[in-house]
Amino acid sequence: MPKNDHYVIIGNGPAGNLAADTLRDSDPDARITIVSNESMTYYYRHKLTEFIKGKAREEDLTVRPYSVYKDKNIRLRLGQQVDKIDPNKKIIYLKHMETVSYTKLIIATGASPRALPSVSNFSKCLNVLSTYSDALAQIPMINKNKTFLVLGGDIISFKFIRMLKDMGKEVTTLLYSEAFWPFSLEADMAQQVKKSLSDKGVTVISDDHIKSVKKSGEAFDIVTEKGLNQSFDSVYSFLGMIPNIRFILGSGIDTDRGILVDDHLKTNFDDVYAAGDCAQIYNPDMKSYWLSIGWNNAKIQGTLAAQNLLGAHKVINPAPQKILEVEGLKINTSWWESF
Amino acid sequence: MSDIDIVVEICGSAGEGTISAGEILSRFMSEEGYDIMSFDSYPAEIRGFGKCVAHSRISRTRVLTPGKYSDVLIALNDSHSISQLPVLKEQGVLIYDNKPPKYHDEDKSIAGWLEPGMIPYGIPLNELAIKAAGNARGRNMVALGAFAALFGISQDAFIQSVKRRYGKKKQVVIDNNVDSFVEGFNWTRDNVRKIDFHLFDSSPSDVKRDQLIINGNEAVARGALAAGLHLYAGYPITPATKIMEILSKELPKKGGVFLQTEDEISSIGHVMGAGFAGKRAMTGTSGPGFCLMSEFTGLSVMAEVPAVIVNSQRGGPSTGLPTKHEQSDLNIALFGGSGDSPRVVIAPTSVDQCYQAAVLALYIAEKYQTLVILLIDFFLSNSIKNLDPPPPPDPRYLNANIAPGKDELKDYKRYQITENGISPRTIPGTPGGMFFSTGLEHDERGKPVYDTKTHTLMTEKRFRKHREILKEIPEPRITGWEGQGDIGVVSWGSSAGAAEEAVILACEKGLKVGSFSSMVLSPFPANALVRFCDRFKTILVPEMNYSGQFANMIAPIVTRPVMRLNMVTGLPMASEDILKKIKEIK
Amino acid sequence: MKNTDRYKKNLIVSTGKNKTYASESVKSIIYSTDPRDFGQVKKSIPCQDACPAHTNIPGYIRCIHEKRFGRAYELNRLANILPGVLGRICSRPCELYCRHGEPDLGKPVSICSLKRSAADFKSPMHRILEGLYSPSGKKVAVIGAGPAGLGAAHELSVLGHKAVIYEAFEKPGGMLMYGIPDFRLPRNVLMLEIENILRLGVELKTGVKVGTDVSLDSLLSDYDAVVIATGCTMPNRLGAPGEDLEHVYSGVRFMEQVNNGETPYVGKNVMVIGDGFTAMDCARSAVRLGAAEVKVNIRKTEEYMPIDDQEKHEVKFEKIRFYSLVDTKRIIGEKGKVTGIEFLRTKLEYSPNPPYRNAVPIENSEFILPADSVIVAIGQQPFPGEISGKIEQNGARILTRESGFSTSITGLFATGDCASGASNVITAIANGRKCAVDVDEFLIGRKRKIHVVRLESVDNTDRDRAYDFIKRTPMNTLDFDQRVSQRSNEVEKGYNEEQAAQESKRCYLCSLKYEIDTTACIYCSACIDVAPRDCIKMIQDVSMNPDGSFGHYTETRNWNNVSAIAIDNERCIRCGQCYEVCPMDCISVTKTERIELNIEE
Repeated sequence: MPKNDHYVIIGNGPAGNLAADTLRDSDPDARITIVSNESMTYYYRHKLTEFIKGKAREEDLTVRPYSVYKDKNIRLRLGQQVDKIDPNKKIIYLKHMETVSYTKLIIATGASPRALPSVSNFSKCLNVLSTYSDALAQIPMINKNKTFLVLGGDIISFKFIRMLKDMGKEVTTLLYSEAFWPFSLEADMAQQVKKSLSDKGVTVISDDHIKSVKKSGEAFDIVTEKGLNQSFDSVYSFLGMIPNIRFILGSGIDTDRGILVDDHLKTNFDDVYAAGDCAQIYNPDMKSYWLSIGWNNAKIQGTLAAQNLLGAHKVINPAPQKILEVEGLKINTSWWESF
Repeated sequence: MSDIDIVVEICGSAGEGTISAGEILSRFMSEEGYDIMSFDSYPAEIRGFGKCVAHSRISRTRVLTPGKYSDVLIALNDSHSISQLPVLKEQGVLIYDNKPPKYHDEDKSIAGWLEPGMIPYGIPLNELAIKAAGNARGRNMVALGAFAALFGISQDAFIQSVKRRYGKKKQVVIDNNVDSFVEGFNWTRDNVRKIDFHLFDSSPSDVKRDQLIINGNEAVARGALAAGLHLYAGYPITPATKIMEILSKELPKKGGVFLQTEDEISSIGHVMGAGFAGKRAMTGTSGPGFCLMSEFTGLSVMAEVPAVIVNSQRGGPSTGLPTKHEQSDLNIALFGGSGDSPRVVIAPTSVDQCYQAAVLALYIAEKYQTLVILLIDFFLSNSIKNLDPPPPPDPRYLNANIAPGKDELKDYKRYQITENGISPRTIPGTPGGMFFSTGLEHDERGKPVYDTKTHTLMTEKRFRKHREILKEIPEPRITGWEGQGDIGVVSWGSSAGAAEEAVILACEKGLKVGSFSSMVLSPFPANALVRFCDRFKTILVPEMNYSGQFANMIAPIVTRPVMRLNMVTGLPMASEDILKKIKEIK
Repeated sequence: MKNTDRYKKNLIVSTGKNKTYASESVKSIIYSTDPRDFGQVKKSIPCQDACPAHTNIPGYIRCIHEKRFGRAYELNRLANILPGVLGRICSRPCELYCRHGEPDLGKPVSICSLKRSAADFKSPMHRILEGLYSPSGKKVAVIGAGPAGLGAAHELSVLGHKAVIYEAFEKPGGMLMYGIPDFRLPRNVLMLEIENILRLGVELKTGVKVGTDVSLDSLLSDYDAVVIATGCTMPNRLGAPGEDLEHVYSGVRFMEQVNNGETPYVGKNVMVIGDGFTAMDCARSAVRLGAAEVKVNIRKTEEYMPIDDQEKHEVKFEKIRFYSLVDTKRIIGEKGKVTGIEFLRTKLEYSPNPPYRNAVPIENSEFILPADSVIVAIGQQPFPGEISGKIEQNGARILTRESGFSTSITGLFATGDCASGASNVITAIANGRKCAVDVDEFLIGRKRKIHVVRLESVDNTDRDRAYDFIKRTPMNTLDFDQRVSQRSNEVEKGYNEEQAAQESKRCYLCSLKYEIDTTACIYCSACIDVAPRDCIKMIQDVSMNPDGSFGHYTETRNWNNVSAIAIDNERCIRCGQCYEVCPMDCISVTKTERIELNIEE
């Protein structure tokens, strides 16, 4: 490999880091850059609830400290967001108005909370918890507030609700039928979920929709379609996740719900690969496209994308037993097994 | 009440309003009752796109140095600011323009260089400035608005301060500045989530409106004016030019004479002429110009004509580093020129001392009919400090010439040998007071005489003045550990602030360390130094030159081992450096 | 404005071959036919060039900014006789080319919605301007009262001819009346603008079907000329089994029923096939007919759908889902009624000529989804009817002579979608109008109108740099409840006056041409320093395009090679910064407009 190769990886999660390691192992001289919009180095996202409770410290979240990046001679661009990509010129444009050129690119941007069009009118009043920065900013508010409304139904919401109950908060949850994610809840499963939440002391509302959320003073007034009218200290929404691909739209790289890649994780551009939660792959066994969710999949895909980028021809194995269907998409949920 | 002590750096390209933003911020903070010290740096070239840094330390407690590392970096220009990142602390805050009109090339954007822990706030400075005033000139004010919003500064109070500062400018200038500030403030308040922990007192209790915010050059000029300066002759040179600039405006208003001469030799010539004629006169220069004046310094001593030379040191030798700091002219100040030439060297250690030093210099020069060198440096010349307006000088400092009495005029001996070395001096034109004046060795009447006895007596007389002067100079400043200790830090000039700060920090850590500094270096209060040094095992002399000029000077005086901290970084001495050295010695 | 206190200057205005020096006292207006000026206008004002009707977009947006809504409306009518209609349902080809939408400059100006604002805020008894010609005594039959037919009839009337429209349906408007749902286009708006055409003396015969009620031959003999503008009414077929099952509709017929006030059965679970505006109209109508779940099935991905983002948002807001990368294999039914669709997954593949992405079905990827009804909206084509065989055709389309509208039969013209194939409303209107000019030349024997470029020197940039940072104003829309409670409720509410004023500021006014007088320039480069992008260039050489516009600038950074500092009007965003900063006042601003003049005046 010529020394002037510049591998750029967008995303500093498991896929991005494994990809970087793979590249570094086989190419000690190449320039490797990871671009991440997070303010923290590679960390365990699923420990954020523990972090908020105060049970885990920052060090406990960290998978890889900054020094490791320096040792591996990986340029880590933290807190930087990619605005757009020009795969023809091989340039990425960062939001703070800097261009970075690459010879090969791996996109591993993962997924982030989804905003449903039906709640878009009051999305400003809704909190989401997805990143370390979110957690950091919300800890004082969560500690202070007493009553919480959680819109949702996705599996992260259940984890969050459990955290709130552990912290002794009053929790009401409005189960959004559109938001069961990553899998649709069958009626009996929904009943089970409802019961299990009720047993924990959570007020569960189902078959209803939010009509409006209005800020009044420090609190939020909620009106639902069925006429519930109540005030909460804060409102959270967990309506599933969508791949972070907005910055790719219009670049010429094919996207659907995620970035469309072949079974080698290559996009429609030879020098651009995608791995992890943001990649959408067709699987002939399932006769469907699938998005993977979760840590182990991301690691496997990150490694594989890097290997293929370096010239291997490995085919991704979809591990079908862990895949569920949502909206016509199969979703692999290995990470969530522990829940 | 917050115990805030933070360093803010604004970095931009020449012409972007970097320095004036720093000044506005310093002025405001001073009015809010904070102690500030600022130190700006800018390119040597007069026009162009060089790097400017306005550096301010803002503290609730008295500050002695501008601080080496910054807590907040406001980047008005990315490529210049990148080179300023290494002095941003690990948890430092960066305010930068995240929406410049054009893309930066790879690695030319400051946001690309952030390290974990640093806290970036991207503000569309350019865009907001245009929104506020139609063009991008107000970016500096937008940045200040963002700063104010982030750090809990009251918008109204700041605007009032800006209005006072621009009071005499056109209304549109004031409006544009205020609008830009408000735009930056509001945008930041509405769009930025604060994640750092710095916060000012939004309604401080001890507001000070009448503070002076001046740099060392201004302090020297004000001091000289207060001390009745009548003539200033000079030739511009960085970093002393500002003294000239101020006096060119102020001196004529007071009936004085301001002259820009063709060179430095002419300047000192004019000063000597005025001194001879009985007027207080002064020139200002830097190292290269001081070299040219050397020949005249001897004449001042020999002919006993009062003269004051301000030497603001810069990096040398030769033209050297015009905009960099150094303390390497001590030797030439003390020993420059020919012969046994006793001269007075006053090296103030802070901006407020610059004022007193100028008063003292003109007083001593007149009273003792000799040469006084006011030795300041690039850092003092440019560091900005807030201080209470100094009271007018004691009247005895204003009229110090010792004139001959009636009896003495009957047989007037201009160079009469006296116990204190001072010969009563007539102003030319005084009836009966005519005399010879020459650079040749002379007898009491001023006639050239070269015999052994005369030269011996006259030399002794000239040196006797120093004994007298020693009685009049301010006490050396001694701080820190008061008993028997380990390390005594002996410093001079602008490094003394850093030394004192380092000693305070070391004492807080339980080290037995003391600090000694004297504003007057010649004649030097050697006894006080010896007493000080006797209390410590080791003496440390930190100074900003390579050869250890001050250490060399005191080493023969003290009976302790003298360690040296010599740096020629071009930057002011930092307390961190001294503290590190103290720990090493320990 | 910051530059009002500037000197009035003597401007140098290019008339092509010579330079005219206009003095301060005489307002300098020049009408140019120099091809270079046409070329310049074409390249400098990309929105106007992209508009099939060449609407003077900067002109009318500027009028809105000045609150001259009536004038803005009339500027529109010069090019397009249905501004209120197009302001709602135009497919907005202009906005794709708006300079504000270029990379890093934000989103395009809401040109379309501003057009609607002009229509909304003009005074209710607004005065219509028409440049009428004396009656010619000629009669022209127009077949079809759709946009093309209406456009042709209007222009024919203006030119002094008697136009008679034959319309098969009960009401005029064609697809506007029967294709587009009323929640997107209220019928009173449509009828008002049609009335404005009819009052010129256009005769409208509805419910008359040419070929059945009256023959084309008789029209040809009764009239001096005949214009066919019958549009595209034949739905394309999927070609898959099951297409004739009950509750499988074509998009066109489905909308026809809906727009006639009928309520076709949709059931709970509706599958729409197709990705265009018609498909969206069908899906959204289905929601209003009570469907619980509506899926729009598309072969490619959302990115490649030929509809704009606003429409996508509205569709999703109405809880309709896009189901991408699927191809219909067959429609499945039981007892003659539809029960589901068997799909194949598709993948995107590169197609080299022209470079495009194609959807290719993946083998063995069949799967079935249930459906209560299926609406196939995959395009339309002309319905040849009576003329089939009598006239030269290109497939189902009527073949017209190159660069014109005449057909193989003398006196018979064809325009609109029946000649061009399915396009959009604004193209149809533009073509109707152009066809009328062709007919006029046929009837009168000479050209009566020419196009010129009007150049007017101005001493003001008309804009603030701050306007460039205003964000695109989102459309005000109804809540979901209001949309479904009454299906004719118009979803888009239009801008209010303040929003329109704000949005109008965003237009760069690309019709202003910035030039540097290189004889006065001192090459201080102050303008380059303030330039917001690479719009001011130090050039060594510049080539000229065949159409007269400036071509490639050979730039240089070496001062010795600089032959001029030039403003690239294709990059210029008219921010006025250079004009403000120039110490020599050597930057001039000229307003350029492409206008139509009567050749005989």
